Amino acid sequence: MATAPALQRDILIDTIFEAAKADRNVYFVTADLGAQALDRFRAELPDQFIHSGISEQHMMDMAAGLAMVGKKVYTYAMACFATARCYEQTKCAVALHRQPVTLIGVGVGMGYDDAGPTHYTTEDMAAMRALAGIEIWTPSDVESTIALGKLTLETPAFRYIRLERPALPDLYHGRFSEVMSDGVAELKRGTDICLISCGYMLHKSLEVAAKLEAEGLSVGVVDLFRLKPIAGDALARILSSYKAVVTIEEHFLYGGMGSAVLEYLADRNLHIRVKRVGMPDRYYFENGTRAQLLRLTGLDVESLMNTVRSVAAQSQTQA
Amino acid sequence: MTDIQLEQRQLLLDKSQWLRRELLEMVARSKKGHLPSSYSCTEILISLYYGGVLRYERGNPTSAGRDRVVVSKGHAGMAAYPILADLGYYSAEELNRFCKADGILRMYPDPSIPGIESSSGSLGHALGLAAGWSLAAKRDNLPNRAFILLGDGELYEGSIWETAMFAAHQRLDNLVAVVDRNGLCIMGETEKLVELGSVEDKWRAFGWHTVSVNGHSYAELLTAFSLIGKTDGKPLAVIANTVKGKGISFMEHKSGWHNKIPTEAQFDQMRQELLVNPIHS
Repeated sequence: MATAPALQRDILIDTIFEAAKADRNVYFVTADLGAQALDRFRAELPDQFIHSGISEQHMMDMAAGLAMVGKKVYTYAMACFATARCYEQTKCAVALHRQPVTLIGVGVGMGYDDAGPTHYTTEDMAAMRALAGIEIWTPSDVESTIALGKLTLETPAFRYIRLERPALPDLYHGRFSEVMSDGVAELKRGTDICLISCGYMLHKSLEVAAKLEAEGLSVGVVDLFRLKPIAGDALARILSSYKAVVTIEEHFLYGGMGSAVLEYLADRNLHIRVKRVGMPDRYYFENGTRAQLLRLTGLDVESLMNTVRSVAAQSQTQA
Repeated sequence: MTDIQLEQRQLLLDKSQWLRRELLEMVARSKKGHLPSSYSCTEILISLYYGGVLRYERGNPTSAGRDRVVVSKGHAGMAAYPILADLGYYSAEELNRFCKADGILRMYPDPSIPGIESSSGSLGHALGLAAGWSLAAKRDNLPNRAFILLGDGELYEGSIWETAMFAAHQRLDNLVAVVDRNGLCIMGETEKLVELGSVEDKWRAFGWHTVSVNGHSYAELLTAFSLIGKTDGKPLAVIANTVKGKGISFMEHKSGWHNKIPTEAQFDQMRQELLVNPIHS
């Protein structure tokens, strides 16, 4: 009997659990979000597990306090609550004191599709980027999730890890370690348009690129798995082969991933056409599966293909 | 009272006058600071540091077995500065450089200052930090305790109550909250703005062992602190009823004075008034 593919949260928690078994200073704090792997952690390492209450503000203050006395602390909640509910605590307790707390947020974008916008995480990249000293990572497959988990154990730092709600297909096939320190990876090479994305939309971007290939458009796909600090020369090198860039995020367009890419290009005085695609500036209460919601918000594969085609056409005429 | 107890009591009374004078001069020199908030918690801090309550090492602000203290009502964080200099954590010269570009002592404390465990200035965080310290100490079987001085206006911040609920559940009897109940916040009386009501009832309802004392009485403060570890596993809340601006006739219980800097003439009047110790027990 085939087992269901592993959820990102279980993969990450299991990675932490393995280390926590040997290191009693590894602490895992949850604001009432669960996981199968967390059930095991809680049962086998009760002294290293903390339920903070549905009290994200308390969770972050306490996490900073635990880190100050030498604990390797992980906080865990649905991404929308983990980021917005306790933003000031993350700033004043964790960031100000530069404490190496790892914030894990589950269900970025519209992962909790059936729950509506209170459970969507569509502002987190913008908000969390602004915190001084934070690292922001969006691992998009099993291998990168495990590698990131190990990084947080080997070199604890102030990090926010954005996890998707569903399981995601493999991307790296043993090669993630080659690119991890770059913070960015070109998953598919092309010469016309480069799609930059992360998370669930990264997988959709690969679908878009494959389909457009059949129409004779050479579309590359880049995984911007580390949003902050954004890549160094690696990204510029990758982009030098393309005529235009399309950034794709399940996030508002104010200050998110696309904005980060614009900042990168401006800071390096790199001139390349950029089209940013993201959520329209409103909240969506409609019922729907994630696929339906993505169609509603213009982030479905068909809409993305149209956008890329039009960017390609504009790039051709201005070449 | 024995001779030793009388001597100790006199030391504490002398410290009241000393600290108020030191704080006055810091503000007179720098033209910055929150005197009334510092004067309401003067006796609280002195009883902790000099009344045999806190465990610490003179000259060593990061001793492993130390108790941690945070003046969470950060605008009064300056009240600890003369004490920390006196403990040898930094030179007393720094008191002359309070809020100056070349000084290490800031309006709102932060951990770059020896003896300061956490930044303050934003209300409501330190109790949560301390819950982390105290929980870790329990799980590691360490004797360290944490003492958090809260303002009563600070109790409006909801995160405090999240932590209070958690701390009681976790039986953190190595965690002490002292509330400086001076009845004022910037815009006026707490009871007229948003009624706090019985602060004791609220902490007690959250599962803390709660006592209410005259916050300017060493006898009562020290009796309250002697309860630490004898609370049947409950964290301890000491509600200290105080007067904002205690010791200065024109400041006492006046909200308008929160961050007002006295004139030279007023500083002189203050020096005159402090020739008589406002604290007698």
